[in-house]
Amino acid sequence: MRKIIHIDADSFYASVEIRENPALATRPVAVGGSPDKRGVIATCNYIARSFGVRSAMSSAKALQLCPDLVFVKPTFELYRTVSRQMQQIFREYTELIEPLSLDEAYLDVSACKQCQGSATRIAEEIRQKIRQQLQLTVSAGVANNKFLAKVASDWNKPDGIFVITPKQVDEFVRQLPVSKINGVGKVTAKKMASLGIKTCGDLQTLNQASLTEHFGSYGLRLYELAKGVDERPVESNRVRKSQSVEHTFDDDLPSLDAVLDKSIDVYDELLRRYGKICDQYLVTKRFVKVKFADFSQTTLEESMGSYSRNWQNLADYTQLIETAWRRKGKPVRLLGMGVRLKEIKIDASTPQLSLF
Amino acid sequence: MKFSISREALLTPLQIISGVVERKQTMPVLSNILVVANEQGVALTGTNMEVELLCRISDVEVVENGEITIPAKKLSDICRSLTDSHDIEFKVEGDRVHLRAGKSHFVLSSLPAEHFPNTENEKNDYSLKVPQQELKKMLDATAFAMAQQDVRYYLNGMLFEISHKHLRTVATDGHRLALATFVTETGVTEDNPKQIIIPRKGVLELSRLLNDDKDVELVFSDSHLRSTIGSYTFTSKIIEGKFPDYNRVIPRGGDKFVVADRQDLKAVFMRAGILSHENIRGIRLNLSENQLEVSANNPEHEQAEDYIEVDYSGDTLQIGFNVGYLIDVMNAIDDEKVKLTLSNPNSSALVEAVNDDTAIYVVMPMRL
Repeated sequence: MRKIIHIDADSFYASVEIRENPALATRPVAVGGSPDKRGVIATCNYIARSFGVRSAMSSAKALQLCPDLVFVKPTFELYRTVSRQMQQIFREYTELIEPLSLDEAYLDVSACKQCQGSATRIAEEIRQKIRQQLQLTVSAGVANNKFLAKVASDWNKPDGIFVITPKQVDEFVRQLPVSKINGVGKVTAKKMASLGIKTCGDLQTLNQASLTEHFGSYGLRLYELAKGVDERPVESNRVRKSQSVEHTFDDDLPSLDAVLDKSIDVYDELLRRYGKICDQYLVTKRFVKVKFADFSQTTLEESMGSYSRNWQNLADYTQLIETAWRRKGKPVRLLGMGVRLKEIKIDASTPQLSLF
Repeated sequence: MKFSISREALLTPLQIISGVVERKQTMPVLSNILVVANEQGVALTGTNMEVELLCRISDVEVVENGEITIPAKKLSDICRSLTDSHDIEFKVEGDRVHLRAGKSHFVLSSLPAEHFPNTENEKNDYSLKVPQQELKKMLDATAFAMAQQDVRYYLNGMLFEISHKHLRTVATDGHRLALATFVTETGVTEDNPKQIIIPRKGVLELSRLLNDDKDVELVFSDSHLRSTIGSYTFTSKIIEGKFPDYNRVIPRGGDKFVVADRQDLKAVFMRAGILSHENIRGIRLNLSENQLEVSANNPEHEQAEDYIEVDYSGDTLQIGFNVGYLIDVMNAIDDEKVKLTLSNPNSSALVEAVNDDTAIYVVMPMRL
């Protein structure tokens, strides 16, 4: 049996900024772009969340919800350093670490001898060490696979831990809302609700065939997840090939104007997600996907050509979206944007010294 | 549109302009060349949206004015494959372009000229005249140190700094830096120096165009650098962003001065480099009285050891470098002798020619 821990730092960027400037501790804090420049919130602390402020929300809207919100510009260099320090602590227990981003990682501690091999106690020790050494809180989820470990880390957030023992799995998933499944977004959840499916228990009543019928290729995966089964290994050297964001819209976007308008949100979310892995990957291409109301879809990809240009340019993306949209010119149900990635080989042991 | 032109007059401009046109394009029109024919002759333009190159050809017989875009690579391939014995006639019929030369006849597709992106003419901000040869020398002395695909996108280009008394080019990839200076009256005030970053592609194309003894005028606007060189007009976007403070990283405290023959030194580096780690490429320098020992080894436990006589008196020093960076500098310097200024194993080396003060080079060491 496997023992997997999912570690998720609590409002990571915001917590790091508050640690650096403790005067912020009692105030609502958001890390992200400033509201006057069409910025977006990357992370906010829990005080800000109590006002309804959320990640990926526009800074302008956040300011409306919480007029006293303090905006801090992200300092990625610092987050990377702290992220590496956290990984150093993980490494005391296992080499099987799969970082998902700067603030999140899976650990496979199946072969770990410390704490008599108790994953729960290992997770507690890691949380304690991070608190003492880095003055930050993280939440941990412990289970026998990645899917459940991730659900568990969110269960008692912030600064919490939740353990799903193998015996509890069946009972736990039966009552688990489908929205907790990674990949079930707003639109899929709505569709499930219309079929009378609210929990994984409900989902279990459907067989593979009907799941495939309703949810396409994702149906087979749902079939397993609904039973709390997830065989994906923790991959310590997993190399991402791309990073992308897709938004499915409740109502089809009727016109090019509507498409371009919604493109902005998708783009902002892409920037936010890339920001979390920007220390490990370089962008080589940008691509877009447009799925029309009739479910036909088209994708368009563009090489960055010259690297002397910042890839983060909304106009380049809207241009691609427009070109793709013109291929059919019909109402749109889904917009996607992404980047193809190239791993930056940062060998910690690289002996080359830098000028800056 | 209809005109005739000799193959000779067309071939070179076509090949130079094709250099900026990129193979794979999302916008089909970008893989085309814009051809404009009028009373002044024919103008060809290619662009990658970052660098634009235009060539005016007057030695041409225009029968009917017009403008159109034609696939760059195919046009250039056709032109190359023809012989000089016949002129080439261009004629647009509908959306097709007919090319005739002797018994050969080609029909090419086209896209309307309106689809071709034109760089807007901005107000010129500032211009500077320098001898072409001087500028070329500066570009060639520093271009190798530009980053290629760095996330710090402003490093994938070259800094042009214009102070009241010099034009300076600086390139760095974060591990090594190259800097060249040309002392000249610039008309810029002392308290208001300019810093402009030109993208890598722009630097390389500009250098290719500089090849005679005349002056070249660099015209800067808000977002572009433009320069007319002979029958070519070169336009490059300017990279937005702040170039790192290069002055901060030029070492000043070096106390160990080594003078050596450039060719000999390069040869020693190249020999030792063969057995360095193939990715890390580290070599070890051991400096002692009038002698430099250069050694390398790799994970296969192969070893190289070599010695060269140098002018040096002072304490011994052991320091590591990426051999590729050292060889690059040896190639960029055009002088018989080079001077290295070192201080300790963790501080950068300053490398320069002994008899030429155009350029200086800074190379960060490797931890041994």
